[in-house]
Amino acid sequence: MNPRLVGVLAALASVACVLAQDVAPQWSGFHTWQYAATLGLGAIAIGSYALAGRRGEDGTIGTRLVVAMVGALVVISAGIASGLLGPDTEIVSRAPGTVAPLGDVGAAAFFPIADAAAIARGDGHVLLRRRGADSIDIPPGERRFVGATVVELVPRAAAYVEARTTTGDHLTMTQPTNPAFLSPVLLFTQQIALAGKMLPADAFAIPALHRQVKAFYFAKGAPGATGAAHGQPAGAASVLFAVDDDDGHLVPGGIGFAPAGESVDLGGLRLRATLGTYPTLAISAVPLTPALLLGCTLLVAGFVWAFGRTSKTVSQRTPDPAAWSSVVNIESDHP
Amino acid sequence: MPRPSLGWAISLIAIVAIFLTVKFYFGVGGTGAGGAGGGPGMLAGAPAQSYPVKTLGGTTDSIDHYRGRVVLVNLWASWCAPCRSETPALEQLYEENRAKGLVILGIDQGESATAASAFAREMKLSYPILLDEDQQYGRAYAAVGLPTTLVIDRTGHILRGIDGELSLAQMRDAVGPALAAKVR
Repeated sequence: MNPRLVGVLAALASVACVLAQDVAPQWSGFHTWQYAATLGLGAIAIGSYALAGRRGEDGTIGTRLVVAMVGALVVISAGIASGLLGPDTEIVSRAPGTVAPLGDVGAAAFFPIADAAAIARGDGHVLLRRRGADSIDIPPGERRFVGATVVELVPRAAAYVEARTTTGDHLTMTQPTNPAFLSPVLLFTQQIALAGKMLPADAFAIPALHRQVKAFYFAKGAPGATGAAHGQPAGAASVLFAVDDDDGHLVPGGIGFAPAGESVDLGGLRLRATLGTYPTLAISAVPLTPALLLGCTLLVAGFVWAFGRTSKTVSQRTPDPAAWSSVVNIESDHP
Repeated sequence: MPRPSLGWAISLIAIVAIFLTVKFYFGVGGTGAGGAGGGPGMLAGAPAQSYPVKTLGGTTDSIDHYRGRVVLVNLWASWCAPCRSETPALEQLYEENRAKGLVILGIDQGESATAASAFAREMKLSYPILLDEDQQYGRAYAAVGLPTTLVIDRTGHILRGIDGELSLAQMRDAVGPALAAKVR
């Protein structure tokens, strides 16, 4: 195969592989040795052609394409560095109103306070605050590039739970295993098997009545693991509550579905779950943007210099037979 | 050799770019996001957040209403044994220092007025009791348990955040510097 074609294709393919990190940064394949090896092979092909071009083995075009090859190598180095050295994608889930330090981002993430209405709307923003820099607001579904990371706000299922006595008195709800001890918002961060299905799950306590409550989230339209026997509403999102005593024994009448926004009496508690979403952050390593810009600029400039100006020069002055042959080679390789 | 200097310049740029890229990734610290912090103690120096909530009398009140005074916020619930245990000391602290500008706000976490007022009557409390059914203060003040106590200075900033039961001596130590500080 034509060495120039190999070099050019290797450069384009490698750069595309690296730019894919910006498009789908959460894909775990970017952090594998196979990905790094692929880019490494590309770099070898590119480097070989660049050396040959620098020695003048491919004429004027080959010499000029060295610029593009160097650009591709810069992009590849950024891709390999972020793939091998950057951290794997991390999901940061925090309770409403809390702050999470993000070491790799160099910022602190402020998660919004959320009441029942905010959970139902699912429109919470997360604010990233950085020392000596502007704050970054991230709305649901959007992402922001910060240094060598991309921070994406991913809404996830959440429930705002109100607990009362069966006579209607409000009760304190606590989450003993959660840093946000007094948060009434369940984020369903666990996955627990129930009747052979993995379900998002969470737990909370009602200390005034010595009750421990497990909560399993059933998404809208999801077939229930326990079926209609426990009254799961067909097609609607709901939470299955299981009320235990302090010893972990299920309280009589303590299991049942709570459709979104409806109160149910279970095991001496009146529980109401407002279902919706609450933001989590997905933090992924991406190639350093300045390196990408520099590399892509060199790549494009090299191609333009090699092919754009050579064709014009050749048609006007035709001084160099080698240039002619290189143009012919390119044309024959790209019918 | 028409353009050897250009080639060397490009190579140099590439090497520097590669070096900086690799160095950047080795330079970024940690293994990602850390925890949510260390409870109410981490809030020292931060502005005190305030939310309007109901009082036992049915009116609305919030921490902001007491700007210019030293405020001791006590997050509690009637089922909480350590809260019950420290309440007489809180009442005594209030009696000792209310004339000096100390306000104690007992903010019930998550309970109805029925439970909170029964507790206040039983403990003969004279300081204001607020009802925070949505547990907003507990979340905002990073409570990791009950009781949680915060001392807020006259400018509305948190001086101290303390998790757990306090003795009267500890309460005096906590509010003393704020009461002694001159008003600007």
